[in-house]
Amino acid sequence: MKASILSDKDYQNGLFQNLKGEINTLLDHKGFETEFMEIGQGDLAFCMGCFGCWTKKPGECMVSDRMASINRKFVQSDVFIYLSPVVFGQFSANIKNALDRWIPNILPFFEVRPDGSTMHPSRYDALPKVIIIGYGDGLLEEDVQLFTDITKKHRRGVEVFVYQGEHEKISGEFSAMNFGKVGPEL
Amino acid sequence: MKNVVLLSASPKVNEPSVSKYLAGMVGDRLDASEVEKTYIDVRQSMMKHQIQRDFEALSEADALVIVFPLYVFCMPGILTRFLEDYYKFRSENNKTASNAKVYAVVNCGFPESEINLEAVRVIRSFCRHIGANFRFGVMIGGGGMFLAAKEAPFMKKVMAKLEEALSAIAKDISGEDRGDLNDIQIAMKFPRRLYLFMGNAGWGVLARKNGLHKKDLYKKPYLLNE
Repeated sequence: MKASILSDKDYQNGLFQNLKGEINTLLDHKGFETEFMEIGQGDLAFCMGCFGCWTKKPGECMVSDRMASINRKFVQSDVFIYLSPVVFGQFSANIKNALDRWIPNILPFFEVRPDGSTMHPSRYDALPKVIIIGYGDGLLEEDVQLFTDITKKHRRGVEVFVYQGEHEKISGEFSAMNFGKVGPEL
Repeated sequence: MKNVVLLSASPKVNEPSVSKYLAGMVGDRLDASEVEKTYIDVRQSMMKHQIQRDFEALSEADALVIVFPLYVFCMPGILTRFLEDYYKFRSENNKTASNAKVYAVVNCGFPESEINLEAVRVIRSFCRHIGANFRFGVMIGGGGMFLAAKEAPFMKKVMAKLEEALSAIAKDISGEDRGDLNDIQIAMKFPRRLYLFMGNAGWGVLARKNGLHKKDLYKKPYLLNE
């Protein structure tokens, strides 16, 4: 079983090191082979909204940079974890950029989900379990709630929580999750 | 004289941008004799290395209108970078609370306007962090149709509603405070199923233009063993 972890090179404080260490230990106990990937400012181009990944080179971004290998890792992992600083209740710029440029992995078409909302279908029949973990010291309650809502209100099957250094938070959250590939429902 | 910054943040390069168009619509409603308008396009600001100059303009603004498309349910990465760096600029330059009035105008390609809500909340949070005065947001669904169909008869009511919403921003900036600070939602008056059908058909047309067949759109390049 393969786990990939994407983190922000520009926010690697003590809290981040604790988070990373704990996750590494927990995944190790579960028998995962874990790969860490870090992105910093300037490592990835910004999405240009060109839709080339849908209509010119389907499934691949037109820009050749590290995002191609990150997207390949996404598809080929059993678990994919984003570690993002919570900035204005959202992802940091580096992580948000990686999320924008994840869209080669979905199809251009619209589909209507059971709750009536619109979404694009997955390009692949099986996806990694996605876990999004926000972190930050002394975060405002509104920002923690917003970080959760951004994902939970719009995505199915994605786990999200915010870590502020609480003892045993990560093991508690992980114990309630199923690990391994999931279906294509986004 | 009030300083107003109209910030548009479409990540597109050299393509028509709904965000820029909407920022222009707000600007057109501001009286030039009372207001000094500064238009900033985030992509251009970065490409032309004008970020420091533009951060200064932002920090001196009495009002800031942030217009952007929804990307994966929140702000595009390029705008996130700009605002994150602006926050650092403020800290490094010991800027005190901004007090600027701030507005968010968000448009999305999906027909539902309410999915823009979290993006508006992010701008609200940004304002809390810089001490600015968030006023209200305008959330637009079906934004992909605006530039192509704005003159069409079925768009008349929606365009009127949009103009009203953007005028509400202009008036609020000018001092006629809008009593109601709830966000304004604007959705296409267009059958949703038809919108989705047309959208889906459009991708096949684009594929053919690029020399692909419709089935090519479903390629799975990262599948193991393919």
